Amino acid sequence: MFVLDDLLFRPIVGIVDTLHTMALNELYDLEALEDELKENQLLYEIGERSEEEYRRRKEELEAEIEIAQEVHERLSSGRVEVKS
Amino acid sequence: MTSNRYVYGIVDGDPVEFETDAVAGADQVYTISHRRLGAVVSDIDTTDPEETDEDAQRHDDVLREIMDERERAIVPMQFGMSFESDRTLKNVLRGARPAFRRAMNDIEGRIELGLKIVREEDADVDDEAIEAAVDDELEPIAAQSVPNDLFSDRLVLNRSYLVDREDREAFDEAVARLEGDEAHDHEDLTFRYTGPFAPYSFVDVEIGAQR
Repeated sequence: MFVLDDLLFRPIVGIVDTLHTMALNELYDLEALEDELKENQLLYEIGERSEEEYRRRKEELEAEIEIAQEVHERLSSGRVEVKS
Repeated sequence: MTSNRYVYGIVDGDPVEFETDAVAGADQVYTISHRRLGAVVSDIDTTDPEETDEDAQRHDDVLREIMDERERAIVPMQFGMSFESDRTLKNVLRGARPAFRRAMNDIEGRIELGLKIVREEDADVDDEAIEAAVDDELEPIAAQSVPNDLFSDRLVLNRSYLVDREDREAFDEAVARLEGDEAHDHEDLTFRYTGPFAPYSFVDVEIGAQR
């Protein structure tokens, strides 16, 4: 029975794991955050965004990027645990 | 005293040396040479410098000082290249010599200029027609050009141009003409014309992992 359980169980864990990784990738989309950082700079440069607004957004995005980088490092090293 | 060297770029011929506000608090920029090629460097205490806005600006200021004030050609390095000793740096100069020479030939006497065209939010503009008009005006003047990432959906065009110093004025005028061109929904467009920069976009020298 153990062998059977194990075989049945394994693919499900695989799918959950993959879905979880995909969700994390989307939530912490590094590329999108970096693009937004560049857009923030551009809108400031063409005078569409005030300096105050630009700085505030820049700080927010840099903090988000730092978190996203950490998540991606953990994902690639397999240190993110799937908890149910 | 540290033996790590932070590199700004590569020059050909006479060494460059001056005092300035350099990366990571250094106050002196100088040259480490291997035969005719020289790496313009300052001292630093790490081989993994943190990229702050201030230091990125200093990196750029040093390159501009060399290009504009001294009118020297320099193959620019991206921010963050730091080597553990003069010996490793000379090895890099020796190993990448043909690549540096080629890059030097491409950029000598030339500057990089950038053009971004941004559409108003929700404006419906004809991207292809704008791109064609820009190409017609600018490509004949530029020595080379490369497209850059359209990192925002507001961007209609994002290109870097390598332009001979002597063609700079003609290029400026061509950009001004485009900006005033009413045929291309110019009310809905904002031009962001920048530079001159060190020609980062036109050198592609890979430096090995032997830092």
